[in-house]
Amino acid sequence: MNVLKTLAIMGGAAAMAASAAAYAQEVHNAAGSANADMGTASHTVSQALLDHAANDGKNFLQTNGDYRQTRFYPNNQINTGNVGKLHPAWLFQTEVKDTMETSPIVVNGVMYVTTAQDHVYALNARTGAQLWHYKQKLGPVTTFCCGANNRGVAVYGDMVYLATLDSKLVALDAKTGKQAWETQIADPELGYSETMAPTAVNGKILIGTNGGEYGIRGFVKAFDATNGKLLWTFNTVPENSQGVWATHDATGRDMHRDIAAEKAAYDKNGDPYKNLGGGVWQNPAYDAKTNRIFFVVGNPSPDLDGAVRPGDNLYTDSLVSLDLDTGKYVCHFQYISHDIWDLDAVSPAVLVDVKDKAGKTVPGVLHAGKTGHVYVHNRNDCSLIRFSQAMVPQENMWSLPTKEGARMLPGANGGVEWSPIATDPAAGLAYAINLHQPMTYHLEDAPYPNGKLWLGGAFKVIPGEAQSGNITAVDYNTGKIAWQVKTSQPMIGGILATAGNLVFTGEGTGEFEALNAKTGKKLWSFQAGAGVNAPPSSYAVDGKQYIVVGAGGNAQVDSKRGNTIVAFTLD
Amino acid sequence: MPNAVRALIVALVLLSCAGARAQTTDGKAALCSGCHGSSGVPADPSIPVIWGQNEGYIYFQLRDFKAGARKSAIMGPMTATLDKQAMLDLAAYFAAKPWPNLAIPAAPGDVARQAERINESAGCKGCHGGEWRGDGTTPRVSGQNLAYLRQSMILFRTGERANNPWMTALLKTYPDTDIETMARYIAGY
Repeated sequence: MNVLKTLAIMGGAAAMAASAAAYAQEVHNAAGSANADMGTASHTVSQALLDHAANDGKNFLQTNGDYRQTRFYPNNQINTGNVGKLHPAWLFQTEVKDTMETSPIVVNGVMYVTTAQDHVYALNARTGAQLWHYKQKLGPVTTFCCGANNRGVAVYGDMVYLATLDSKLVALDAKTGKQAWETQIADPELGYSETMAPTAVNGKILIGTNGGEYGIRGFVKAFDATNGKLLWTFNTVPENSQGVWATHDATGRDMHRDIAAEKAAYDKNGDPYKNLGGGVWQNPAYDAKTNRIFFVVGNPSPDLDGAVRPGDNLYTDSLVSLDLDTGKYVCHFQYISHDIWDLDAVSPAVLVDVKDKAGKTVPGVLHAGKTGHVYVHNRNDCSLIRFSQAMVPQENMWSLPTKEGARMLPGANGGVEWSPIATDPAAGLAYAINLHQPMTYHLEDAPYPNGKLWLGGAFKVIPGEAQSGNITAVDYNTGKIAWQVKTSQPMIGGILATAGNLVFTGEGTGEFEALNAKTGKKLWSFQAGAGVNAPPSSYAVDGKQYIVVGAGGNAQVDSKRGNTIVAFTLD
Repeated sequence: MPNAVRALIVALVLLSCAGARAQTTDGKAALCSGCHGSSGVPADPSIPVIWGQNEGYIYFQLRDFKAGARKSAIMGPMTATLDKQAMLDLAAYFAAKPWPNLAIPAAPGDVARQAERINESAGCKGCHGGEWRGDGTTPRVSGQNLAYLRQSMILFRTGERANNPWMTALLKTYPDTDIETMARYIAGY
C-alpha cells in the first residue's frame, strides 16, 4: 500500500466526519385517545397510599408490592376456581427486544414498565395503550454485569423515578414522562451501575448499586425526592472490614479458611475496604414501626480470589439494617464470611412475623440465598433464628476454588438469584424460584483492573450436566419445604402470591403459570414466546383484576429474548 | 503483517507523536483510518473493525493503551498525547459510524453447534449480548475480523493482553480448538 495514497484517503475520511450526536433525552407522547381514556385519574402517589400498599387490591405501588416486600397481592377475584379461564387482556410490544426484569407498577389505571437500556413506558393498564415513552440517553461509559437490565421504577408524589446503567437517578413527570431532574449516583468508569428499581419513602429515594464484580465500594444512598440532593450514604463496606474471622457459615459448615495466612496478609497490606465490592442489587424493605430499612449486601471483590481481601469482608454477603432518617448502622448478620464462591445475598429482604426458636411470634426478616436456603431472622437484632432445608442440591460445600476448577453445588447463580420471593403471611409460606446449574469454580489471581470485571477467576457451567430449576414453598416457621415443583430450566425472575390462593411465576422457556399456593399443583399456563424472567404484578381497573408480566428473556441464563408486556384477566 | 502496512503504521505513529495534540477529532480520526480503514474495513485482518464499535469500549481501549494496561507498540504511542476528552470524542466519532460488512462466511452447522455449547458453559452472551453485539464498555464481536478475534483470545489467555483479567481467567480454561471454534462462529455471525 502506498503511504501517500493512504494519507490522501485519511484526508477524505476527515472530511466525512460526523457531527456530534445530540444528547437530549427522548419522550414520545401518545395521541389524545389513549390519554383521554384515562379520564381524570390521579397520577399522584401519597405517602399514605404507599403505607397502605399491602392492603391495596387495586394498585401495585412498589417493586415488591409493599414496604414489607411480601409480593402478596390482596385481591382474590382471580383464584383457584377460575384461573383456568385466565386469558390475555392485551399485549404491548416495547421498542427494546432484550433481557427484561421489570416489575410493572400500577397507579390508578396507569402502568409503568421499563426495558433494557433504560426505557420507561406509561401504559393504560386496561387497554395496554401507550401514554408516553421515555428513553434515557446513556453516557458512553456503562459497566454492568449480566445484561443491560432494569428492574423498574418507583412512584412518589407526581414523579416516576428511574436508576440507570450509567449510574444516574432520574425523576420523570408521571403525567408526561418529561425529565424533571437527574443526578449522578457514582462513577460508571469505576464499575458502578444501576439495574435495580429505587424505593420511595418519606421524601427519600433509596438506591443501592451494582459493581461487586468490578471492585467498587458498595453503598445505599438516600436522595431528596424533590430535587435529587444527596441526603446520606451508607458504605456497605466499613473501613474496618475484618470482622470476627468466622470459620463457619450461617449453617455451621466449615469454609476452610486459612485464618493465620489471612491475618498475616491483613497485617501486611491493611484493610482491603476500598475495592471490596458489596453491591446492593435489590430494594430495601421498610419497617414503619421502627423507621428502619433492611437489605442484603452482595459479594466481595474479586469474587473468587480471597487472597487480596483478608478478613470477613464486612458487610458483604449480609443482611443489614439502617435507620431510615440518618442512614446509620443498626445491625447486621453475615451469611458467608470471606465468600470466595459468589454465593452471596441478592434476593430482597422480606418483613413478616415469624416464630422464634421458642415458638413465640416476633417481628422477622426473610432472605432467600444463593445457597438455596431461606434464612429467617429476628428483626430486632438481625440474628438468625433458623434456615430452611436446602431447596437445591448442595455438593462439596465449601470446596476452595482451584486453578483447574473445583466442582461445587450450588453453582454461582444459586439457589435463589436476584429473584424476589413471595410470601403468604397467613399461611407462613415463602415461595422461591431456584436455579440448579452444576459449575466448577476456577481461581486466577489478577490485580485490580481499574473498573473492569474482576472475578479473580471464573465459574463455568459444567458441559453436559443436566440443569433444572424449581418452585419451592417453604414453611418459614419450621424451615421445612412444604412443596416443590421442578422445572426443565434454571429459574430466574420472580414470583407473586395472591389472596386467590395462587402463585404466578415464569420460566425461560416462555411458560407463564399459575400454581395452587397450598399444593403447588399447576392450574393454568400461557406460552409467551420469549423467556418470562421478570416478576409478575397484579392490579385492578374498573373492578376487574389483572395479572401482568414481562416476557423479554434474560441475559444471565440466555433465555430467548422478546419485547412483550402481557396482561391477563378473566371475562 | 505486510511490510507496506508496517511502514504505514510507523509513519502514522511518527505523525501522531508529532501533532496529535493539536488536531481536531476529525484529524485524529483520519490517522486512525490509515489502519482501521477509511470505509471501516481494516487494512489488514489482524486489525479490528472500530466503525460502529461500542463507544464505551473504544474509550476504555484508548485509555488502557495510553496507560499501558493494554500494551501495543502502535497504539501506545498513538494514544500517548490524547487526553480523556479526546479519547471520548474519538470513541463517539467511530461509534457513530456504520459497522462494515466484512462478508465473513457463517460457520458451518457443526461449528456453530459446538460454539453454542461453549457459550452455554462460559456464559459469553451474558456480557456480549444475544446477538454478540456487546454494549457500553463490552465490545461487539459479531462480524469482527476472524484473525483479530482469534489473536485477541489467545493474547487474553496468555495474559499478554492484560486489560481484562476476566477474559484471561476464562480463556485459560479453554483449548486452542475451542478458541478457533468461537472465533469462526462469532466472526461469521
